[in-house]
Amino acid sequence: MSLMEEIIVAVDDMPPFPQVVQRAMQALADPEYEVVGLVDILKVDQAITANILKLCNSAYFGLPRKVSSLKEAVVYLGANQLRQLLLSGAASKIFEKPNAGYAVFADELWRHALATAVMAQVLRQYRRIKIDENTLFTAALLHDVGKVVLSNFVADKYRDIENMVESGKSSFQEAEREVLGFDHAEIGGKIAEKWEFPESIITAIAFHHEPGRSAREFRVLSELVALSNNLAVMVGYGTGVDGLACRGHGLLLEKLKIADREMEELVLLFQLEMAKTCEVAGVDED
Amino acid sequence: MSLVTVGIADLKVSKDPEDTLVTYSLGSCIGLAVYDPVVKVGGLLHYMLPDSSINKEKATTHPAMFANKGIPLLFKQCYSMGADKKRLIIKVAGASQIMDNAGAFNIGKRNYAILRKIFWKNNVQIAGEDIGGNSNRTMYLEIGDGKINLKISKKGIIEL
Repeated sequence: MSLMEEIIVAVDDMPPFPQVVQRAMQALADPEYEVVGLVDILKVDQAITANILKLCNSAYFGLPRKVSSLKEAVVYLGANQLRQLLLSGAASKIFEKPNAGYAVFADELWRHALATAVMAQVLRQYRRIKIDENTLFTAALLHDVGKVVLSNFVADKYRDIENMVESGKSSFQEAEREVLGFDHAEIGGKIAEKWEFPESIITAIAFHHEPGRSAREFRVLSELVALSNNLAVMVGYGTGVDGLACRGHGLLLEKLKIADREMEELVLLFQLEMAKTCEVAGVDED
Repeated sequence: MSLVTVGIADLKVSKDPEDTLVTYSLGSCIGLAVYDPVVKVGGLLHYMLPDSSINKEKATTHPAMFANKGIPLLFKQCYSMGADKKRLIIKVAGASQIMDNAGAFNIGKRNYAILRKIFWKNNVQIAGEDIGGNSNRTMYLEIGDGKINLKISKKGIIEL
Protein backbone atom coordinates (compact mmCIF):
# COMPACT_ATOMS: atom_id res chain seq x y z
CA MET A 1 0.00 0.00 0.00
CA SER A 2 1.26 3.50 -0.75
CA LEU A 3 1.55 5.98 2.09
CA MET A 4 -1.47 7.87 0.78
CA GLU A 5 -3.53 4.67 0.67
CA GLU A 6 -2.51 3.86 4.24
CA ILE A 7 -3.60 7.31 5.31
CA ILE A 8 -6.94 6.99 3.55
CA VAL A 9 -7.53 3.82 5.58
CA ALA A 10 -6.57 5.69 8.76
CA VAL A 11 -9.00 8.48 7.89
CA ASP A 12 -11.75 5.88 7.43
CA ASP A 13 -10.88 4.42 10.80
CA MET A 14 -11.24 7.72 12.61
CA PRO A 15 -14.07 7.82 15.11
CA PRO A 16 -17.10 9.71 13.79
CA PHE A 17 -17.72 13.27 14.89
CA PRO A 18 -20.44 12.96 17.54
CA GLN A 19 -23.89 13.02 15.93
CA VAL A 20 -25.43 14.69 18.96
CA VAL A 21 -23.04 17.61 18.64
CA GLN A 22 -23.63 17.97 14.91
CA ARG A 23 -27.40 17.94 15.40
CA ALA A 24 -27.18 20.43 18.25
CA MET A 25 -25.05 22.72 16.04
CA GLN A 26 -27.72 22.63 13.35
CA ALA A 27 -30.36 23.53 15.92
CA LEU A 28 -28.24 26.34 17.36
CA ALA A 29 -27.64 27.78 13.89
CA ASP A 30 -31.22 29.03 13.98
CA PRO A 31 -31.20 32.22 16.09
CA GLU A 32 -34.70 31.38 17.28
CA TYR A 33 -33.90 27.83 18.28
CA GLU A 34 -36.35 26.02 20.50
CA VAL A 35 -34.94 25.19 23.91
CA VAL A 36 -37.14 22.11 24.20
CA GLY A 37 -35.95 20.78 20.85
CA LEU A 38 -32.34 21.35 21.81
CA VAL A 39 -32.81 19.61 25.15
CA ASP A 40 -34.31 16.62 23.31
CA ILE A 41 -31.20 16.37 21.16
CA LEU A 42 -28.76 16.73 24.05
CA LYS A 43 -30.42 14.57 26.69
CA VAL A 44 -29.67 11.28 24.87
CA ASP A 45 -25.99 11.81 25.64
CA GLN A 46 -25.33 11.44 29.35
CA ALA A 47 -21.75 12.65 29.23
CA ILE A 48 -22.74 15.85 27.42
CA THR A 49 -25.63 16.44 29.81
CA ALA A 50 -23.30 15.99 32.76
CA ASN A 51 -20.77 18.41 31.26
CA ILE A 52 -23.36 21.09 30.63
CA LEU A 53 -24.59 20.87 34.21
CA LYS A 54 -21.04 20.81 35.51
CA LEU A 55 -20.13 23.96 33.61
CA CYS A 56 -23.29 25.73 34.69
CA ASN A 57 -22.56 24.92 38.33
CA SER A 58 -18.86 25.73 38.12
CA ALA A 59 -17.19 28.46 40.13
CA TYR A 60 -16.79 30.38 36.87
CA PHE A 61 -20.48 31.28 36.80
CA GLY A 62 -20.85 31.46 40.57
CA LEU A 63 -24.60 30.84 40.61
CA PRO A 64 -26.30 31.26 43.98
CA ARG A 65 -28.01 27.87 43.74
CA LYS A 66 -27.37 24.56 42.07
CA VAL A 67 -28.89 24.03 38.61
CA SER A 68 -30.00 20.45 38.18
CA SER A 69 -32.21 20.51 35.08
CA LEU A 70 -30.73 20.35 31.60
CA LYS A 71 -33.38 22.72 30.31
CA GLU A 72 -32.53 25.35 32.88
CA ALA A 73 -28.83 24.99 32.14
CA VAL A 74 -29.40 25.36 28.38
CA VAL A 75 -31.37 28.55 28.94
CA TYR A 76 -28.79 29.91 31.33
CA LEU A 77 -25.73 29.19 29.22
CA GLY A 78 -27.14 30.46 25.93
CA ALA A 79 -26.15 29.64 22.38
CA ASN A 80 -22.53 30.85 22.42
CA GLN A 81 -21.44 29.08 25.58
CA LEU A 82 -23.24 25.91 24.55
CA ARG A 83 -21.68 25.89 21.12
CA GLN A 84 -18.20 26.35 22.55
CA LEU A 85 -18.75 23.68 25.16
CA LEU A 86 -20.14 21.12 22.72
CA LEU A 87 -17.59 21.66 19.97
CA SER A 88 -14.65 21.88 22.34
CA GLY A 89 -15.78 18.74 24.13
CA ALA A 90 -16.00 16.78 20.89
CA ALA A 91 -12.79 18.19 19.42
CA SER A 92 -10.71 17.76 22.58
CA LYS A 93 -11.24 13.98 22.44
CA ILE A 94 -9.91 13.95 18.90
CA PHE A 95 -6.92 16.21 19.50
CA GLU A 96 -5.80 15.17 22.94
CA LYS A 97 -4.46 11.76 22.01
CA PRO A 98 -0.72 11.53 22.48
CA ASN A 99 0.93 12.47 19.23
CA ALA A 100 4.42 11.15 18.84
CA GLY A 101 4.98 12.75 15.48
CA TYR A 102 3.73 16.29 15.55
CA ALA A 103 3.29 17.65 19.01
CA VAL A 104 6.02 18.41 21.48
CA PHE A 105 3.53 18.01 24.30
CA ALA A 106 0.50 15.76 24.04
CA ASP A 107 -1.90 18.67 24.36
CA GLU A 108 -0.18 21.13 22.02
CA LEU A 109 -2.39 20.44 19.03
CA TRP A 110 -5.45 20.90 21.14
CA ARG A 111 -4.31 24.21 22.63
CA HIS A 112 -3.50 25.44 19.15
CA ALA A 113 -6.93 24.37 17.89
CA LEU A 114 -8.66 26.25 20.68
CA ALA A 115 -6.46 29.33 20.26
CA THR A 116 -7.22 29.48 16.54
CA ALA A 117 -10.96 29.20 17.18
CA VAL A 118 -10.80 31.96 19.78
CA MET A 119 -8.69 34.14 17.47
CA ALA A 120 -11.25 33.66 14.69
CA GLN A 121 -14.08 34.78 16.96
CA VAL A 122 -12.12 37.82 18.11
CA LEU A 123 -11.22 38.74 14.54
CA ARG A 124 -14.82 38.38 13.40
CA GLN A 125 -16.05 40.67 16.16
CA TYR A 126 -13.19 43.14 15.80
CA ARG A 127 -13.91 43.75 12.12
CA ARG A 128 -17.64 42.97 12.35
CA ILE A 129 -17.39 40.40 9.60
CA LYS A 130 -20.70 38.95 8.56
CA ILE A 131 -20.18 35.23 8.68
CA ASP A 132 -21.90 32.37 10.48
CA GLU A 133 -20.33 32.01 13.93
CA ASN A 134 -20.91 28.26 14.12
CA THR A 135 -19.20 27.57 10.84
CA LEU A 136 -16.24 29.81 11.61
CA PHE A 137 -15.69 28.39 15.09
CA THR A 138 -15.92 24.80 13.83
CA ALA A 139 -13.60 25.32 10.85
CA ALA A 140 -11.03 27.16 12.96
CA LEU A 141 -11.19 24.58 15.75
CA LEU A 142 -10.68 21.65 13.38
CA HIS A 143 -8.31 23.19 10.81
CA ASP A 144 -5.34 21.05 11.89
CA VAL A 145 -7.24 17.80 12.38
CA GLY A 146 -5.18 16.27 9.56
CA LYS A 147 -2.15 16.38 11.86
CA VAL A 148 -3.85 13.92 14.22
CA VAL A 149 -3.80 11.26 11.48
CA LEU A 150 -0.57 12.30 9.81
CA SER A 151 1.46 12.27 13.00
CA ASN A 152 1.16 8.48 13.15
CA PHE A 153 2.77 8.15 9.75
CA VAL A 154 5.51 10.74 9.63
CA ALA A 155 7.87 9.17 12.17
CA ASP A 156 10.44 7.87 9.66
CA LYS A 157 10.05 10.75 7.21
CA TYR A 158 10.03 13.30 9.94
CA ARG A 159 13.76 14.02 9.85
CA ASP A 160 13.49 14.97 6.15
CA ILE A 161 10.63 17.36 6.79
CA GLU A 162 12.54 18.90 9.66
CA ASN A 163 15.69 19.38 7.57
CA MET A 164 13.75 21.17 4.86
CA VAL A 165 12.13 23.47 7.42
CA GLU A 166 15.48 24.17 9.04
CA SER A 167 16.95 25.33 5.75
CA GLY A 168 14.59 28.28 6.19
CA LYS A 169 13.18 28.10 2.69
CA SER A 170 10.15 25.89 3.29
CA SER A 171 7.26 26.19 5.63
CA PHE A 172 6.27 23.06 7.50
CA GLN A 173 3.32 22.46 5.20
CA GLU A 174 5.44 22.93 2.07
CA ALA A 175 8.00 20.47 3.43
CA GLU A 176 5.26 17.94 4.17
CA ARG A 177 4.09 18.18 0.62
CA GLU A 178 7.59 17.87 -0.78
CA VAL A 179 8.51 14.88 1.36
CA LEU A 180 5.19 13.05 1.61
CA GLY A 181 3.45 14.21 -1.55
CA PHE A 182 0.56 15.75 0.41
CA ASP A 183 0.05 17.84 3.54
CA HIS A 184 -1.97 17.91 6.76
CA ALA A 185 -4.46 20.43 5.35
CA GLU A 186 -5.43 18.10 2.52
CA ILE A 187 -5.82 15.16 4.91
CA GLY A 188 -7.86 17.39 7.24
CA GLY A 189 -10.23 18.13 4.36
CA LYS A 190 -10.69 14.39 3.82
CA ILE A 191 -11.50 13.86 7.50
CA ALA A 192 -14.08 16.67 7.43
CA GLU A 193 -15.58 15.05 4.35
CA LYS A 194 -15.81 11.72 6.13
CA TRP A 195 -17.56 13.48 8.99
CA GLU A 196 -20.04 14.90 6.49
CA PHE A 197 -19.35 18.50 7.39
CA PRO A 198 -20.68 21.19 5.05
CA GLU A 199 -18.64 22.06 1.96
CA SER A 200 -17.66 25.41 3.49
CA ILE A 201 -15.90 23.78 6.45
CA ILE A 202 -14.24 21.09 4.33
CA THR A 203 -12.88 23.82 2.05
CA ALA A 204 -11.64 26.08 4.85
CA ILE A 205 -9.78 23.16 6.49
CA ALA A 206 -8.27 21.92 3.22
CA PHE A 207 -7.05 25.40 2.23
CA HIS A 208 -6.08 26.94 5.54
CA HIS A 209 -2.54 27.47 4.24
CA GLU A 210 -3.66 28.58 0.77
CA PRO A 211 -6.98 30.37 1.15
CA GLY A 212 -6.60 31.85 -2.32
CA ARG A 213 -7.16 28.38 -3.77
CA SER A 214 -10.55 27.89 -2.11
CA ALA A 215 -13.78 28.27 -4.08
CA ARG A 216 -14.89 31.89 -4.22
CA GLU A 217 -18.08 31.32 -2.20
CA PHE A 218 -16.03 30.01 0.76
CA ARG A 219 -13.16 32.45 0.35
CA VAL A 220 -13.98 34.71 3.32
CA LEU A 221 -14.24 31.74 5.67
CA SER A 222 -11.00 30.22 4.37
CA GLU A 223 -9.20 33.54 4.71
CA LEU A 224 -10.39 34.05 8.26
CA VAL A 225 -9.25 30.59 9.28
CA ALA A 226 -5.87 31.12 7.55
CA LEU A 227 -5.30 34.46 9.25
CA SER A 228 -6.44 33.22 12.66
CA ASN A 229 -4.02 30.32 12.31
CA ASN A 230 -1.21 32.76 11.45
CA LEU A 231 -1.94 34.92 14.47
CA ALA A 232 -2.32 32.01 16.90
CA VAL A 233 0.99 30.56 15.69
CA MET A 234 2.65 33.96 15.88
CA VAL A 235 1.69 34.45 19.51
CA GLY A 236 3.06 30.98 20.24
CA TYR A 237 -0.12 29.20 21.20
CA GLY A 238 0.27 25.49 20.99
CA THR A 239 2.64 25.03 18.13
CA GLY A 240 4.40 21.71 18.04
CA VAL A 241 7.54 20.65 16.26
CA ASP A 242 6.77 22.98 13.39
CA GLY A 243 7.39 26.00 15.62
CA LEU A 244 6.58 29.18 13.74
CA ALA A 245 7.50 27.79 10.32
CA CYS A 246 4.20 28.83 8.84
CA ARG A 247 3.78 31.24 5.94
CA GLY A 248 2.10 34.53 6.85
CA HIS A 249 -0.75 35.93 4.78
CA GLY A 250 0.16 39.58 4.96
CA LEU A 251 -2.30 40.50 2.22
CA LEU A 252 -5.18 39.37 4.40
CA LEU A 253 -4.02 41.80 7.09
CA GLU A 254 -4.09 44.61 4.55
CA LYS A 255 -7.51 43.54 3.33
CA LEU A 256 -8.89 43.78 6.88
CA LYS A 257 -6.93 46.99 7.53
CA ILE A 258 -4.93 45.47 10.34
CA ALA A 259 -1.69 47.39 10.85
CA ASP A 260 0.64 47.32 13.87
CA ARG A 261 -1.69 48.94 16.35
CA GLU A 262 -4.73 46.92 15.30
CA MET A 263 -2.71 43.72 15.57
CA GLU A 264 -1.70 44.63 19.10
CA GLU A 265 -5.33 45.28 19.99
CA LEU A 266 -6.30 41.92 18.50
CA VAL A 267 -3.64 40.08 20.47
CA LEU A 268 -4.82 41.78 23.63
CA LEU A 269 -8.49 40.90 23.02
CA PHE A 270 -7.47 37.39 22.07
CA GLN A 271 -5.51 36.83 25.26
CA LEU A 272 -8.36 38.00 27.49
CA GLU A 273 -10.85 35.80 25.62
CA MET A 274 -8.49 32.82 25.56
CA ALA A 275 -8.09 32.96 29.34
CA LYS A 276 -11.87 32.83 29.71
CA THR A 277 -12.29 30.01 27.20
CA CYS A 278 -9.61 27.91 28.87
CA GLU A 279 -11.36 28.32 32.17
CA VAL A 280 -14.70 27.24 30.70
CA ALA A 281 -13.17 24.37 28.70
CA GLY A 282 -11.03 23.28 31.66
CA VAL A 283 -7.81 23.64 29.65
CA ASP A 284 -4.48 24.66 31.09
CA GLU A 285 -3.83 28.03 29.50
CA ASP A 286 -0.04 27.73 29.73
CA MET B 1 12.64 20.89 43.06
CA SER B 2 9.37 22.57 42.31
CA LEU B 3 8.38 23.88 38.91
CA VAL B 4 6.62 27.25 39.08
CA THR B 5 4.76 28.16 35.88
CA VAL B 6 4.82 31.73 34.66
CA GLY B 7 1.76 32.04 32.46
CA ILE B 8 1.39 34.10 29.31
CA ALA B 9 1.24 37.78 30.30
CA ASP B 10 2.46 36.90 33.78
CA LEU B 11 5.54 37.29 36.01
CA LYS B 12 6.91 35.49 39.06
CA VAL B 13 9.84 36.13 41.37
CA SER B 14 11.36 33.75 43.89
CA LYS B 15 14.21 33.26 46.34
CA ASP B 16 13.49 29.63 47.08
CA PRO B 17 16.57 27.72 45.84
CA GLU B 18 14.37 24.70 45.16
CA ASP B 19 12.24 26.60 42.62
CA THR B 20 12.58 26.49 38.86
CA LEU B 21 10.53 29.15 37.13
CA VAL B 22 9.30 28.10 33.70
CA THR B 23 7.38 29.79 30.91
CA TYR B 24 6.06 27.94 27.86
CA SER B 25 5.10 28.83 24.31
CA LEU B 26 7.23 31.88 23.59
CA GLY B 27 6.41 32.82 20.00
CA SER B 28 6.40 36.53 19.31
CA CYS B 29 6.29 37.05 23.08
CA ILE B 30 9.41 37.63 25.13
CA GLY B 31 10.68 35.77 28.17
CA LEU B 32 12.87 37.97 30.36
CA ALA B 33 14.83 36.40 33.20
CA VAL B 34 16.70 38.41 35.83
CA TYR B 35 18.87 36.93 38.59
CA ASP B 36 20.99 38.23 41.44
CA PRO B 37 23.66 35.57 42.19
CA VAL B 38 24.55 37.01 45.60
CA VAL B 39 21.14 36.97 47.26
CA LYS B 40 19.91 34.26 44.86
CA VAL B 41 16.75 36.08 43.90
CA GLY B 42 15.35 35.63 40.42
CA GLY B 43 12.34 36.56 38.36
CA LEU B 44 10.78 35.64 35.03
CA LEU B 45 8.39 37.70 32.89
CA HIS B 46 6.43 36.55 29.82
CA TYR B 47 5.03 39.59 28.02
CA MET B 48 3.02 39.68 24.79
CA LEU B 49 2.92 43.28 23.66
CA PRO B 50 5.29 46.24 23.51
CA ASP B 51 3.20 49.09 24.80
CA SER B 52 0.19 49.49 27.08
CA SER B 53 -1.01 52.72 25.49
CA ILE B 54 -3.49 50.64 23.44
CA ASN B 55 -5.52 49.94 26.57
CA LYS B 56 -5.10 52.03 29.72
CA GLU B 57 -7.36 49.84 31.79
CA LYS B 58 -5.52 46.58 31.02
CA ALA B 59 -2.23 48.38 31.68
CA THR B 60 -3.33 48.47 35.33
CA THR B 61 -5.08 45.10 35.60
CA HIS B 62 -2.64 43.09 33.40
CA PRO B 63 0.75 44.88 33.65
CA ALA B 64 2.74 41.74 32.77
CA MET B 65 1.08 41.70 29.36
CA PHE B 66 3.09 44.74 28.26
CA ALA B 67 6.83 45.39 28.05
CA ASN B 68 6.57 48.98 29.28
CA LYS B 69 4.69 47.92 32.44
CA GLY B 70 5.95 44.37 33.01
CA ILE B 71 9.69 45.05 32.79
CA PRO B 72 9.78 47.76 35.52
CA LEU B 73 7.48 45.63 37.68
CA LEU B 74 9.77 42.59 37.37
CA PHE B 75 12.80 44.62 38.47
CA LYS B 76 10.89 46.24 41.34
CA GLN B 77 9.69 42.91 42.68
CA CYS B 78 13.22 41.53 42.59
CA TYR B 79 14.55 44.62 44.40
CA SER B 80 11.90 44.20 47.09
CA MET B 81 13.31 40.71 47.73
CA GLY B 82 16.82 42.04 48.15
CA ALA B 83 18.20 41.97 44.62
CA ASP B 84 20.58 44.73 43.56
CA LYS B 85 20.48 46.30 40.11
CA LYS B 86 24.27 46.23 39.71
CA ARG B 87 24.43 42.48 40.29
CA LEU B 88 21.49 41.44 38.14
CA ILE B 89 22.21 39.02 35.29
CA ILE B 90 19.69 39.53 32.51
CA LYS B 91 18.77 37.06 29.78
CA VAL B 92 16.18 37.28 27.05
CA ALA B 93 14.47 34.77 24.74
CA GLY B 94 11.63 34.81 22.21
CA ALA B 95 10.52 37.40 19.64
CA SER B 96 10.07 34.74 16.95
CA GLN B 97 8.13 35.34 13.83
CA ILE B 98 6.23 33.37 11.25
CA MET B 99 7.51 33.27 7.65
CA ASP B 100 6.55 36.59 6.21
CA ASN B 101 8.79 38.51 3.85
CA ALA B 102 6.81 41.71 4.15
CA GLY B 103 7.27 41.70 7.94
CA ALA B 104 3.61 42.40 8.65
CA PHE B 105 3.44 39.89 11.53
CA ASN B 106 6.22 41.68 13.39
CA ILE B 107 5.03 41.94 16.99
CA GLY B 108 8.08 39.89 17.98
CA LYS B 109 10.44 42.49 16.55
CA ARG B 110 8.60 45.32 18.25
CA ASN B 111 8.58 43.42 21.54
CA TYR B 112 12.35 43.16 21.32
CA ALA B 113 12.93 46.74 20.15
CA ILE B 114 11.13 48.25 23.12
CA LEU B 115 13.07 46.04 25.52
CA ARG B 116 16.37 47.31 24.06
CA LYS B 117 15.11 50.86 24.35
CA ILE B 118 14.05 50.49 27.99
CA PHE B 119 17.36 48.82 28.87
CA TRP B 120 19.39 51.43 27.03
CA LYS B 121 17.63 54.26 28.87
CA ASN B 122 18.23 52.56 32.20
CA ASN B 123 21.75 51.43 31.47
CA VAL B 124 21.00 47.73 31.74
CA GLN B 125 23.15 45.13 29.96
CA ILE B 126 21.90 41.85 28.49
CA ALA B 127 24.13 38.91 29.42
CA GLY B 128 22.64 36.43 26.99
CA GLU B 129 19.85 36.13 24.48
CA ASP B 130 18.22 33.84 21.95
CA ILE B 131 15.98 35.93 19.76
CA GLY B 132 14.01 35.71 16.53
CA GLY B 133 13.83 32.95 13.94
CA ASN B 134 10.90 30.58 13.49
CA SER B 135 11.33 28.71 16.76
CA ASN B 136 8.98 28.20 19.62
CA ARG B 137 10.75 28.43 22.98
CA THR B 138 10.27 27.33 26.58
CA MET B 139 12.42 29.12 29.17
CA TYR B 140 13.55 27.78 32.56
CA LEU B 141 15.24 29.74 35.36
CA GLU B 142 16.72 27.78 38.26
CA ILE B 143 16.65 29.94 41.36
CA GLY B 144 19.37 27.92 43.17
CA ASP B 145 22.13 28.87 40.72
CA GLY B 146 20.59 31.17 38.11
CA LYS B 147 20.99 28.63 35.32
CA ILE B 148 18.78 29.27 32.32
CA ASN B 149 17.75 26.53 29.92
CA LEU B 150 15.82 26.97 26.71
CA LYS B 151 13.82 24.24 25.06
CA ILE B 152 13.60 25.17 21.41
CA SER B 153 11.47 23.52 18.74
CA LYS B 154 13.67 21.71 16.21
CA LYS B 155 16.81 22.20 18.35
CA GLY B 156 16.25 20.62 21.77
CA ILE B 157 17.56 22.05 25.04
CA ILE B 158 20.37 24.61 25.25
CA GLU B 159 21.78 26.61 28.15
CA LEU B 160 21.59 30.35 27.68
